[in-house]
Amino acid sequence: MKTLLKSVKIIDKKSDFNGQIKDMLIEEGKISKIADKIEEKVDKLIEGENLHVSTGWIDMRVSPKDPGYESKEDLISLCKAAAAGGFTRIVTLPNTKPTVQTKESIAYYKGFSKTQLVDILPAVAVTKYCEGKDFTEMLDLHNAGAVAFTDGEHPLWNADILLKTLQYLYPINGFLMNRPEETTLTLFGQMHEGIESTLLGMKGIPSTAEEIIVMRDLKLLEYAFSQVSEKRAHSALHFSTISTKRAVELIRDAKAKGLPVSCDIAAHQLAFTDTDLKEFDTNLKVNPPFRSKADIEALQAGLADGTIDVIVSDHNPQDEESKNLEFDMADFGIIGLETAFAVANTHSNIPIETLVEKLTTNASHLLRLPEEKIQEGGVANLTIFNPDLKWTFTEKDIRSKSKNTPFVGHVLKGKVVGVINKNQVA
Amino acid sequence: MQSLSTKHLLGIKDLTTNDIQLILETAREFKEVINRPIKKVPSLRDVTIANVFFENSTRTRLSFELAEKRLSADVVNFSASGSSVKKGETLLDTVNNILAMKVDMIVMRHASPGAPHYLSRKIKANIVNAGDGTHEHPTQALLDSFSMQEKLGDLAGKKIAIIGDILHSRVALSNIFCLQKLGAEITICGPNTLLPKYISEIGVKISHSVKETLQWCDVANVLRIQLERQQIKYFPSLREYSLYFGINKQMLDELDKEIVLMHPGPINRGVELSSDAADSHHSIILDQVENGVAVRMAVLYLLSQQG
Repeated sequence: MKTLLKSVKIIDKKSDFNGQIKDMLIEEGKISKIADKIEEKVDKLIEGENLHVSTGWIDMRVSPKDPGYESKEDLISLCKAAAAGGFTRIVTLPNTKPTVQTKESIAYYKGFSKTQLVDILPAVAVTKYCEGKDFTEMLDLHNAGAVAFTDGEHPLWNADILLKTLQYLYPINGFLMNRPEETTLTLFGQMHEGIESTLLGMKGIPSTAEEIIVMRDLKLLEYAFSQVSEKRAHSALHFSTISTKRAVELIRDAKAKGLPVSCDIAAHQLAFTDTDLKEFDTNLKVNPPFRSKADIEALQAGLADGTIDVIVSDHNPQDEESKNLEFDMADFGIIGLETAFAVANTHSNIPIETLVEKLTTNASHLLRLPEEKIQEGGVANLTIFNPDLKWTFTEKDIRSKSKNTPFVGHVLKGKVVGVINKNQVA
Repeated sequence: MQSLSTKHLLGIKDLTTNDIQLILETAREFKEVINRPIKKVPSLRDVTIANVFFENSTRTRLSFELAEKRLSADVVNFSASGSSVKKGETLLDTVNNILAMKVDMIVMRHASPGAPHYLSRKIKANIVNAGDGTHEHPTQALLDSFSMQEKLGDLAGKKIAIIGDILHSRVALSNIFCLQKLGAEITICGPNTLLPKYISEIGVKISHSVKETLQWCDVANVLRIQLERQQIKYFPSLREYSLYFGINKQMLDELDKEIVLMHPGPINRGVELSSDAADSHHSIILDQVENGVAVRMAVLYLLSQQG
């Protein structure tokens, strides 16, 4: 199969062509030619105004729902949603039924995605059933292809388990992701704790609950690595979906100290604050919750100065039965694959080159994937987008089986035009 | 004729000061009506009202039912202890089923904050919030303000204390909104774990001393300890609570001034209020109950005019 991209601006700091507008010919899954002008009869021509291309984006936090909750999402709809959002690779959380904690589960995802444009990279549970008690067989799962270890939606509440996981994964340069949340402080919590939660009569989720675990885990990381003299090239501990100003500051300081730590935020975290919950809209019920304006500004600063490595969608499909309910009975989470890029591009205040790093190169490095760049002869794993196009997101743009998004009707800046991977175009 | 700015009574927060004054004025007229030998008026003839209670309630439901009957409305009652969801039916389905039988207004109590707000976006009928979890209980706040006005006149500048479990109380929040709109000063008082951490941001004073608070206030509105709504431990024991935060008649008598004592009921006698305090001349607790019917008549009548 031959595909030709006409007049695309290449956004890839590692590439010799970075910042240049070129034609690009793709044949049988490889970039065969990059030149000012290519005239060739092809199977698919991609052209348009203001097209940009980068290496294919990676979403490091997706709740697949399949197996176990296929009415909310299955792997087919999941991959369609990912491709529509510009993601050629997605890291799935282990909180399915059954929990992803065996080689068979890894094989299920790998087997399915073999023929798909989108690669599914499963993260596996640290503890059995993500209960935070007994370890899974992490070395064996690593060898079977797990890209990361995490209890996913469940924070690792036990300090000793977190420490031992860091120690156990050290020899294999393993990657641990933890959602920082002190669950005894967030029990029954529905939204960010503050005057808004007070006025709405809802139990709050205090910022402190996140910060206390960031502090704890950083201290444990420092302890685990205190006898290690060489500097690690990779992050050993990754905080998922941080949301508070203080968490950004703590991670910034830890990075300055040289600790092997990294973090991400969900794109939607930049778009709303707790004041938006006045109407009790369950499509704004997320965990971590939407916080204050000051928190958003801190997240933007953290993105700009590199404290925050990655932006994720935190795609969490919930069907109508889980969302068309009283607020405190509704499940947490919103879908995000289709909107993550546009939402981040609209609300992050960072240059497009930096944003692309947060969506691709940084995640690739954290996940220890082989280095890639846009070059002749290189693998054609690409995302094509227009970063300046303003468009209104509608229900028709949803590819996920679930419709739980607050962005319907929102005008967003930046649109994905297509993705190319494994000799397929979407 | 004046009318409300809203077709639902979801909370005091959404009401204008004019709305509140209109309701209170209308309630004064209805109070006169219910003290006549013939207490019934035909205002809501051919209007059907469903009292939909997903949480236990005796006095609020009875008060609404009497208000409805004295306005000549047709009344149906639906009670489900606990959540209908547990039985497999959603709130929306339950209410839509009731509305399919040609019901015009819904009076609802529900354990979830925002449940009536959620419903108001999905159905056409007028909704009166009869208490949504730990959020609002607007008719209680209105009848409390009504009762305070009867005793003290204009509430502007009056000092109102709300004492007890503020954190789990929908009465406290609605009272705060209502009293602030009427110009009163408010202090909340209770164990620190039962006071909302951020409440001072809206100009409410905080106290941990019942004695000092009683010295300060013109009205003490004492709230019940919401044991049923406390999912986590907030204080060591009822004994300690009543010793340090309970009010008895001696404390009231020792004040060198008159004080109005209120309680939304039901009282945990011997916990937040001793019996001798609850039954003392300071107390207007039974007036509150009487006024509740008049205030609810006013609310239902005014909403029915909104279509």
